[in-house]
Parts: sequence; C-alpha cells; structure tokens
Amino acid sequence: SINPMEFNPDFLACMIPEVEWALLLEAADTLHLVEVPKGLTEGYEHNEKFLREMHQVLLEVEVLEGTLKCSESRGLFPISWGIPNMPLSDEE
Amino acid sequence: MCNVQEATKQLLDVNLHENWRANQVTESGPRSESEHLQVTIGATVPTGFEQTAAAEVREKLGSSCKISKDWGKIYFDISVESLAQVHCLRSVDNLFVVVKEFKDYQFKETKEEVLKDFEELAGKLPWSDPLKVWKINTSFKKKKKHKKINQNSGREKIDNGQGDKTDEKEDKKGFTNNTLDSHILDYYENPAIKEEISTLVGDDLASSKDEKDEKEETHPKVLKFRVTCNRAGEKHCFSSNEAARDFGGAVQDYFKWKADMTNFDVEVLLNIHDNEIVVGIALTEESLHRRNITHFGPTTLRSTLAYGMLRLCAPQPTDIIVDPMCGTGAIPIEGSTEWSNCYHIAGDNNPLAVNRAANNISSLLTKSQIKEGKVSWSLPIDAVQWDICNLPLRTGFVDIIVSDMPFGKRMGSKKRNWNLYPACLREMSRVCKPGTGRAALLTQDKKCFTKALSGMGHVWRKVHTVWVNIGGLHAAVYLLKRTPQAFVHPSEQDGERTPW
Repeated sequence: SINPMEFNPDFLACMIPEVEWALLLEAADTLHLVEVPKGLTEGYEHNEKFLREMHQVLLEVEVLEGTLKCSESRGLFPISWGIPNMPLSDEE
Repeated sequence: MCNVQEATKQLLDVNLHENWRANQVTESGPRSESEHLQVTIGATVPTGFEQTAAAEVREKLGSSCKISKDWGKIYFDISVESLAQVHCLRSVDNLFVVVKEFKDYQFKETKEEVLKDFEELAGKLPWSDPLKVWKINTSFKKKKKHKKINQNSGREKIDNGQGDKTDEKEDKKGFTNNTLDSHILDYYENPAIKEEISTLVGDDLASSKDEKDEKEETHPKVLKFRVTCNRAGEKHCFSSNEAARDFGGAVQDYFKWKADMTNFDVEVLLNIHDNEIVVGIALTEESLHRRNITHFGPTTLRSTLAYGMLRLCAPQPTDIIVDPMCGTGAIPIEGSTEWSNCYHIAGDNNPLAVNRAANNISSLLTKSQIKEGKVSWSLPIDAVQWDICNLPLRTGFVDIIVSDMPFGKRMGSKKRNWNLYPACLREMSRVCKPGTGRAALLTQDKKCFTKALSGMGHVWRKVHTVWVNIGGLHAAVYLLKRTPQAFVHPSEQDGERTPW
C-alpha cells in the first residue's frame, strides 16, 4: 500500500547518499514499482521530480505482506501486517 | 461580605450567558475583562525531568519556569490567551492554576490552631482570577470532549470495517483485558488508565453525561468541588486529610458550593511541602501521560517520561531514532508525533509487543484522520520484530537510541540482565553513530547497568544521570554519548586488548 507522507527534502537529502542502489532497484522491481529513479544524477538535491520519486519509494510505499531477502546471508525474513520479523543469528 | 457576592455574581453572569457566548469564549479567546490576564500555572512533571519540562515551556511558551522544592512541580507565568498552548505541552502530567503561594508559611504550635488558620485562609484568598481561568479551561474541555466522542464512534466503525492490523480476536481481547483485568496494567497508573479507557470505550456514557451537563448550563448551576491535599514534611502536626477537610469546609461556606468527592467540577489543590504552601485549582482531570497509547502492555511507559527521555537527546532534523526494546512503542510514538522531521524505528523481540506497537501507531493515525476530517499524513515511524543483540541495522546508522530497558522486576529477570545488558550496550554501540550518536536508557537495575557500562568506556561515555521514580521504584535514565571510536567487531580483535 502507499501511505501519503509529508514531503521533507532535507531528510531525503541525508538519506539518499546512504541508499544502496542495486538493492533498491531490485526491491522496486519485485514490487512492480514504476516511478523509481535508476541512480544518482548530478544536482539531485534540487531535482524535485527525483526527490518526489525517492520520497515515495523510501517513505510512502509500505509492504504489508512479503519477504525480505538478505543479499549477503541469503536469509529470508517474512513481513506480516507491515511488520518484518528479523531475528538474526550471530553470523548475520 | 462583598467578596463572596462578587465571586458568585461573576460565576452567575458567566453561567447565564454561557449558551450564546460559549462559542465566543472558545473560539475568539477570553473576553475583554480577562484579555490581559496574567496567571501563574503549576504543572506536575515526572520527578527528575523538571529541567527538561522547563526547557519545553521556554521553547513553546516563551516563559521561564520556577522549579519548586516540592519535586515534580514547575511554575510559570502566562497570559490567559496562551492557555490552549499550555495543554499542548508534552512533558507535563497535570496542570493547575495557582491561587496563592506561601513561600514561608508560619504554622502555629497546635493542630487545632493550624486547622483553624486553614479555615480562615479560605475566605482571604484571591479566587476570582484563577476561577476565571478555570472557567475558560472548562469550556476547552467541553469542546475537546465532543470531539473525542465523534472520534470514538468513528474509530470503532473503522476498526470493524477494516479488520484492523492484527487479527480482530487479539484486538478485542486486548480491550477486554484492559477493562476487566486492570491488575495487568501498571499498578501505579491505574486511575489514569481507567479514565483514559473509559473515555475511549465508554462513549455512550460520556455522551449522555455531556447532554445532561448542557441542560444544566441553562440554569445557574451550583458547582461541585473537592479539596485534594498533598502534604510532605516532617514537622507538621496535622494530616493531609484533616487539612483537606477543614479547608474544604471553609471553601464550601465561602462559595456555597457542594462537596462531591467523585463528580466534582472544581478541584481545589492544597499542596504543602515543609513551609511552602501552594493553593491551586486543577485544570486537568485525566492525566495527560497516557495520551498516545490505546493498547497497553504490562509495563507501558508514561508519554511524558518518553518525551523527557527523547528531549534529553536533543533530536536534530533528519536524525534516525531507534528504540530496540520498544514494548508497546510509547517512546517511538511520542517521538514521531513531536519530532516528525526525524525517522523513528520501534523494535522488539516479542511479537505481541510489536503488534501492540503497530496497533498504537495505527490508532493514532486513525484518531488524527477523523479529527482532521481528511486523509492525514502517515507518521515517520516503522515497527520491526528483531533481536536486540543482533540488530538488522547497518553499523553507525543510528543517531539516537532511547529505550526503557527491562527492569528485571515485571519483565525479564535480574539474572537475565547480567547477560542482556552488556550484549545490548555492545550492539547499541555498533549501530550508533560514532562521535555524534547518543542514547538515553531507563532502568531500575542500576547496579547491573553500571557494571555493564564500566566495560564499555571505549565506546560509551556517561554524560548525565536523571533519577526518576517509576511507581515507587527508584530508577535512572542514563544519558550516554557515543565516543568517536569506530566499532570493532570482536573477531577482529584477536589477541589485542582494546584500550578503555
């Protein structure tokens, strides 16, 4: 589901550099999301369209039922009612 | 006695005009006589957080506070127009308007003389301005109550329609448990809890009571009152009951009000701490501290305490704030409403707790949705089920950690804490950002915490301790700063001793 949230460009500006793009794109693909930027472009901080698309994919899209897959450990974590269950073992 | 006549006439005047003036009073603010009225407001706050509350008052109302020797109380002056904003303060439990303060009251020698003095005192106090404030305050509450009723009936409809987040059976069970098995809830919070629950669940009762009140408004109403006396000090020769009784008797004679211990309109407060006496009139009845939580757990934290702990960490815009042992989510929920330019994550290893937290979040959203009458914004908060000793978070990702750690009394055990606390602190130090990160951790198991912390000097530095009282238990909130030292995974430390 998509839950509308107040647009906060400052927050996004801090978070966007932290994004692991390969993972984000893979997740977006699995969820069949369309308006997802493919990566950082020059001057992204001032690109309103870019920011709004990032805002939606990072903060507004909510997975209610599904599974999270860890790219490193191959662990699978179920999501139920929007809550992921993520008990990790020591190696993870 | 012209004072009595004056006071009564004022009250009668307001009552007679109540109907057609009610809207004006609430919407356009106080009438011209009280326009520039300055009053002193007293507020009760969680003991230990007086400074934090004073900071909030300074920030939101622009007033400076006086912190009294009577712990857990702060005083500040405002003009009556700001009364609504005072109710929006997040760090205060209860509010009252000061009638008179005696900094150094001279008690006579015998009990009879002291009590007689109290009786005579009633007629000599400056009641009229505080009563005006009380009157204005009551009209706020009426408006709020009507809103609440609409919220509740709306909310119930939505709950039934959507089938809610968790399965309905658990949700319903949660409610029945709360109303019937109150011994499961925090024992010291019971009166506040019962009131809040009855406001949420008993809309029928509330609406019928309100109708009755409205009918009464058209005729000049005899007010019902009670006196509550809080007394602290070793040298008093009287009890709080005696003081309340005799002072109350005199108040009754003075105003011709009716005494009623349960269904009162006016609650007069007589606070005595050694030689300091403050007479006040209560402005809140249901305590503000349970405001965000509709689904209780066995050890739910007061929202005012949650706010105080968060504020200690001075959240900055864009900070990531995590509660890795969130229980019912009191702390992150308070955080997401007050610091909405930060992102909050609530996690717990117990699925029941995480479900309760998620329920509380969605209740809050539904409540605001109905109030605004339109689709409202989602909150910057998420719930996850995880293991505190192995958090699925990147190293150094978190700016602030605020948590209510298991005391080992009602949740967990002291023995378990010996292993849990060091493991928690270690994992928290990993996810917390070196240099700028900070943590506010509440615990009653101070011995265990201090011991666990002593081995972590290379990553955590204790900067402040706030001594608090949680239902009679002496607990502490430890404010820690994350040192600039990067987290080193134990496996990389083979054979090396880390410097402390």
